[in-house]
Amino acid sequence: MKIPERRRRLGRAAGTVGALLLATALHASQQTPSTAPATDTTLSVAGDVARPLTLTPAELKAMPRTTVTIVDQGRDVKYTGVLVGDVLARAGASLGREMSGPALSTYVLASAKDGYQVVFSLAELDPAFTTNDIIIADTVDGQPLFDYQGPLRLVAPHDKRGARSVRMLQRLDVVRLRK
Amino acid sequence: MRRTIAAVVAAAAYVAAIVSGTARPAAESAFTWNLPRGFPAPRVPAGNAMTPEKVDLGRHLFYDARLSANRQQSCASCHEQARAFTDGRERAVGSTGEVHPRNSMSLVNVGYAGVLTWGNPSLTRLEDQALVPMFGDHPIELGLARPGTALLERLREDARYRAMFAAAFPAEAAPFTIDNVTRALASFERSIISARSPYDRYHTDRVQDAISPAARRGEILFFSQPFSCFRCHHGFMMAGATDFEGRQPRAEGGVEFHNTGLYNLAGALSYPPPNTGVYEITQKAEDVGRFKAPTLRNISVTGPYMHDGSIATLDGVLDHYAAGGRTIADGPHRGIGHDNPNKSRTVRGFTLTPGQRADFIAFLNALTDEELLRDPRFSNPWTAPGR
Repeated sequence: MKIPERRRRLGRAAGTVGALLLATALHASQQTPSTAPATDTTLSVAGDVARPLTLTPAELKAMPRTTVTIVDQGRDVKYTGVLVGDVLARAGASLGREMSGPALSTYVLASAKDGYQVVFSLAELDPAFTTNDIIIADTVDGQPLFDYQGPLRLVAPHDKRGARSVRMLQRLDVVRLRK
Repeated sequence: MRRTIAAVVAAAAYVAAIVSGTARPAAESAFTWNLPRGFPAPRVPAGNAMTPEKVDLGRHLFYDARLSANRQQSCASCHEQARAFTDGRERAVGSTGEVHPRNSMSLVNVGYAGVLTWGNPSLTRLEDQALVPMFGDHPIELGLARPGTALLERLREDARYRAMFAAAFPAEAAPFTIDNVTRALASFERSIISARSPYDRYHTDRVQDAISPAARRGEILFFSQPFSCFRCHHGFMMAGATDFEGRQPRAEGGVEFHNTGLYNLAGALSYPPPNTGVYEITQKAEDVGRFKAPTLRNISVTGPYMHDGSIATLDGVLDHYAAGGRTIADGPHRGIGHDNPNKSRTVRGFTLTPGQRADFIAFLNALTDEELLRDPRFSNPWTAPGR
């Protein structure tokens, strides 16, 4: 994965309307936190969050969708999924207005089924703080991910190398260094 | 003087032929790549645009034993189509019987190879590489004498070549040159592009049952952390050092070469000379044993394996990597490859169950492009039906 090229689909609403929709969605999610058992196809969010959760593929599909395009070996490849920031918000991580003080020294450990792990700062996953568009993808070019990639893949489209685009993503652990 | 007069006469005849309409104008025709889906355009060096005529000429030269001094070998002697353009030997054997230190590399999709040989980071153009087997004497391969005049005379005697050289290089009054021989050979080699393996049908065409469940499990193992095969054999070529049109240089620069712990001899050189890898070029101690990661496409038909063909089977290759380096107990090459001081950090060893081994092998076998092995576009034109 090289030379990320931001071509985010504009299906995601922006501005006041979008914020209201997102707030409504988050409110709904707070009322019905996911308690699905962790499996090979689910995503767990744990650690220093208000509402640790486990999301099924169907629950992820129901969240606002974002498409990012990366250039992979000379051709455009489109990954579609959910902003990591939206998932973290649903788990009650300190984002948006809370992104100050200890939140700025908080990191997120992304772990894959095969043991691979990478780290992001919480701030770089916060859509209100940066425009990194880092997503948890479940489709590539409109198709399900391959077995060796999925069912979920974290895609960091602005990284110059693909090493943090974790294949077979299973878990996000939020770790606050300053309590 | 006689040569000058001949050249003038030839040029005049050529111009007359164009005027009379019996020769092609000095324009090159377009070549159609027909690239597999997902494959980028190959990088073609300036000064050697692809044309059907050059590819056709190159194909004839590639299969012509007149390219060796003793007329015993052609390029195809060490690059057989049925073996994905390798030769089945541990190490190649030249036209005079001299044994090459290295295993013949596959030419399938070679137009995407960022570097062309096992251990020379600077040999990146097929036009340049062709000169090595033609004129190299260490070892002797085709055994031609520089500057190649005898070869050109030999080719010029053949009326078919007179027509083909004129068609391939229409702007040149005297197209019989060594440069043009290498341009044509390189053009043919670049045209050998194919990706019709079961794995391609599964991965690119999304035909779920194109590969077996075992091969699908093997794919997951291949791309998983404990095994990390993909770290060196990556991308659509499943190789290191892939290049194509528009590719940006890696941020850290350079091409990947790896010491996999195949040997660990005592002394200054841990790999047996002359096969010391990139060290042969750089003379840097840290480059001892560093070789290119070759493509894994068609790997089931390109054995024996490794830069010196010293592992006979894919099972043996898996044993080597599972051990994190090969141990040779006796003989002049004895040593524990696992402990080679230059060994790549990626080669750490792993535990492989019998089931995982079978899955790996199934996956590697799924990379074989059977159509390529008999594709008439790449076959010997001198023996083709109707010739």
